[in-house]
Amino acid sequence: MADTVADVHQHETHGHDDHHHDQGWVSKYLFSTDHKIIGMQYMFTGMFMAVIGGYMAYVFRMQLAFPGISVPGFGQVSPGEYNALITNHGSIMIFWVAMPVLIAAFGNFLIPLMIGADDMVFPRINRLSFQVFFLSSVVLLGSLFVEGGGFGGAWTSYPPLSASGDYNQTHLGASLWLIAVALEFVAFLLGGINFITTLMNSRAPGMKAYDIPLVCWMIVIASILFMLSVGPLLAGAVMLLFDQTLNTGFYDPARGGDPILWQHLFWFFGHPEVYVVLLPAIGITVDVMATFARKKIFGYKMVLYTAVATGVLSFFVWAHHQFIAGIDPRMANVFTITTLLISVPIAEMLFVMIATLYGGSIRLTTPMLWALSFMAEFLIGGVTGIFLGASGADIYFHDTYFVLAHFHYTFFPIAIIGTFCAFTYWFPKMFGRMMNDTLGKIHFWGTIIPFNFIFIPLFVLGMGGQHRRIYNFQHFPEIAGPEYFQLRQLATIALLVMLAFQLVFFYNVIVSWMRGEKAGKNPWKANTLEWTTESPPPHGNWPVDELPTVYRGPYEYGHPDREEDYWPQNLPG
Amino acid sequence: MAHARPIATTRSATGIPTPRLAVWWILASEVVIFGGLLGVYIMHRIGHPEWAEAASHTQTWIGAINTFVLLTSSFTCVLAHQAAEKGNGKEAAKLLGFTILGALMFLMIKSYEWTTEIIAGYTITANTFWSFYYTAAGLHALHVIAGAIIMGFIAVDAFRGRELHRVEIIGIYWHFVDVVWIFLFPLLYIAK
Amino acid sequence: MSENNEHNGEHGHDDGHHVNYFKIYLLLLVLFIISVVGPEVGEFTGLRWITLITAFGIAVVKARLVVNNFMHLAWEKRIMKWMLASSVLLMFLMVAGISPDVMNHEGNNWENVAAKAEVERGLAYAAGYSSDEAEDEGEAEVVVAAGFSAATSYGQICATCHGAAGAGDGIAGAALDPPPANFTDPAFWADPARDRDRVITVIRDGAVAVGGSALMAPWGALYTEEQLEQVADYVMSFRPDA
Repeated sequence: MADTVADVHQHETHGHDDHHHDQGWVSKYLFSTDHKIIGMQYMFTGMFMAVIGGYMAYVFRMQLAFPGISVPGFGQVSPGEYNALITNHGSIMIFWVAMPVLIAAFGNFLIPLMIGADDMVFPRINRLSFQVFFLSSVVLLGSLFVEGGGFGGAWTSYPPLSASGDYNQTHLGASLWLIAVALEFVAFLLGGINFITTLMNSRAPGMKAYDIPLVCWMIVIASILFMLSVGPLLAGAVMLLFDQTLNTGFYDPARGGDPILWQHLFWFFGHPEVYVVLLPAIGITVDVMATFARKKIFGYKMVLYTAVATGVLSFFVWAHHQFIAGIDPRMANVFTITTLLISVPIAEMLFVMIATLYGGSIRLTTPMLWALSFMAEFLIGGVTGIFLGASGADIYFHDTYFVLAHFHYTFFPIAIIGTFCAFTYWFPKMFGRMMNDTLGKIHFWGTIIPFNFIFIPLFVLGMGGQHRRIYNFQHFPEIAGPEYFQLRQLATIALLVMLAFQLVFFYNVIVSWMRGEKAGKNPWKANTLEWTTESPPPHGNWPVDELPTVYRGPYEYGHPDREEDYWPQNLPG
Repeated sequence: MAHARPIATTRSATGIPTPRLAVWWILASEVVIFGGLLGVYIMHRIGHPEWAEAASHTQTWIGAINTFVLLTSSFTCVLAHQAAEKGNGKEAAKLLGFTILGALMFLMIKSYEWTTEIIAGYTITANTFWSFYYTAAGLHALHVIAGAIIMGFIAVDAFRGRELHRVEIIGIYWHFVDVVWIFLFPLLYIAK
Repeated sequence: MSENNEHNGEHGHDDGHHVNYFKIYLLLLVLFIISVVGPEVGEFTGLRWITLITAFGIAVVKARLVVNNFMHLAWEKRIMKWMLASSVLLMFLMVAGISPDVMNHEGNNWENVAAKAEVERGLAYAAGYSSDEAEDEGEAEVVVAAGFSAATSYGQICATCHGAAGAGDGIAGAALDPPPANFTDPAFWADPARDRDRVITVIRDGAVAVGGSALMAPWGALYTEEQLEQVADYVMSFRPDA
């Protein structure tokens, strides 16, 4: 669906000179094995899903701020629909937006280009990965329209509620949701193995481990994390599916099962998953910052080792999501300590960013603004996480809007700011034209300011005791006062403003794509290999006999011996 | 072939050929899938002493025969690799054929076993032990089926002397399926 | 086929791995026989550790043999060994983190009531089971029928909504609309149509079959006709005048 739209666009722009090509556009854009096309397919599917996720947020925020009104474009929201909306908003934004765009789209597009290869090592597995992913999005969207409605048991899908259609009243919706998630995992396992082997084996001659741009490292480390953490959940999802369809009793205490087990399996994957999407976003911002501060990254190896340390630590923290779920209290102590520990490597990465900026000749282009705002906003998300990681405080904060605001302050910078940062930075390489900087900046401020107005009120509401996943707060007298509703309405109106400003982005993309200024090979004067080929790169990326050779690290900006302030990786001498 | 193999596939910065590197990564991801399932099963088994009764109804001898079949198929598979390394595609294809035969025998014995158990009333819903039994063995059987199908394609190629390096790759996967069964056998059949 | 040649060339480094596969295979078979015979010995001598060591110790040894010699991991680059080892270690970490909650059913200041009840229920069931089995010479189908208890089945399936005492106050029932039937309420039984046959029909085909709510699901697939009657009788026993 979404990729068809994307493909039609691509067809419109490039189509005319491709008609005499030996491939038809169906095989060229729909069933291509070219890593760049697959990356685009992932990106446009992801963006299409993001629009759906945003629409869902709009509908349920309207219901929360103005309970019972007929939401324009949706109608009245019933409790069941409300549950389905919040559940699928969460699932879509994490599994069908953050993962495909940050890892699959940019991983596919950037890794071969940045390491000087002509494609992924397994192009057809790559295509299969997208096809499975696309199927999973169709199944997910389909699950919203089956009898009984979409699944409404939250994106964590805790049993016993999720374990039986008799409990959640969405027999088909729950099973389809689960199948969609499992398919999505399979797609990313296929894609992830491709990324890992490509980076390990297909680097350009001369490119040593420390010459690889950080964003590639981060995407690959994230893929490894994903691959190692998702296994138990994949097995667990099969078990949950059996509970739903065959009436087994893995998770349902009434049938002899253990609901806590699912929580463990889910979060054993779910917490590393946070770092799976965080690391690529950090890689992107670090790369962008080095380019626009015209300065070598402060501590390349430091960032790399911290990323590995984060990855290892991320496997030790999962139970902090379950402090009040009835887990063994002794384990809660252990997980509090590890959770607070993991803020150390993350803080270290933010320090590296600040140190990179210090003394640089900073250019405030649109991608740089996004990178800077990532740092600022993610800091708020990280710091509020410290309250929640302490098991004592978490007893009070658990499942309130404080938690909700906290993880939106982490996921929004990761998934949305990170994506915009990367998209605006690599847009010239992807489409061969520059994006309009003025429109880009309008869009930037129109997103960042309302974003804070959405979630700061939710912190306040959360500390006031407002619980998550509640359909209508009028039913709870102690938090139904006008001062509470004013805050809710403030958040909702800010959301409307933010969504409206996304139109600027789409307008900018289309206009720049059609009529933007030609970008040339290297508009940002950056060092990494993708800027040494045409924009957009041809099939095979470089002519076969001109595949690049690497002589130095990716961040040699402002070298004292050189006249120019950048030193591309592929220049000899 | 519509697609020429990219240059990227022929590079090998680590010194491990790319297909073999990829299959090791696939196995690492399989280790956590099976490891998660079996780890959960072991914890439940220890926490539920009453499962000993249910476990006593599994048919050890059928499991033992199946272990033997899989071990033997693993052996023919490694011989096929040896033949492929020497460039003898026909021999490799023949040995892969034996391996596929082993897989089919394994599946036939498995379906006989499951049929008798289901008729006796030990269905997947009879008890959580049986749920684990069918889930774990079923997941393993799916891997056997997938391996046998892929092996069929590789055997045809090998017979024509093409893509001989793939014999090693499917072999590594097949031995892994064998290793999983080596652990499933004591877990589901022997430890009563 | 230049790639094949290249590939064979790359094999240079592991020339040393031409082990005698047949020897390894025989060794595996011997270990396999020990692992099958071991438990018999363990049962015969009553020493459970023999079973555990022969079953799992040998599994580890066999797996090592296969991985090292058949999969040639012994000759592989170190990085893959590390990677596979860490994925195995990770599983130990997972088990270590989860086991306090899943394996034990009580600790210092906590208790998993549902899991303990399940163990008790299972043990009681198993005890009834084996005494029946002695009579029937292990004829499985009969044993299953004999091991069936309407009260247990009611407790596992029906009580979630209808409550353990049949008062319609089960945990899952609280959220249902219409609420689950209260079998202890005389008004419920006042309708003369509610006889034993109708109760059986509702359990087998769901309440929809008699024009009731779809929330009472059909359970016929779980029971034989005889078991259905037993469950129906059990439900009827909640009747105040019964």
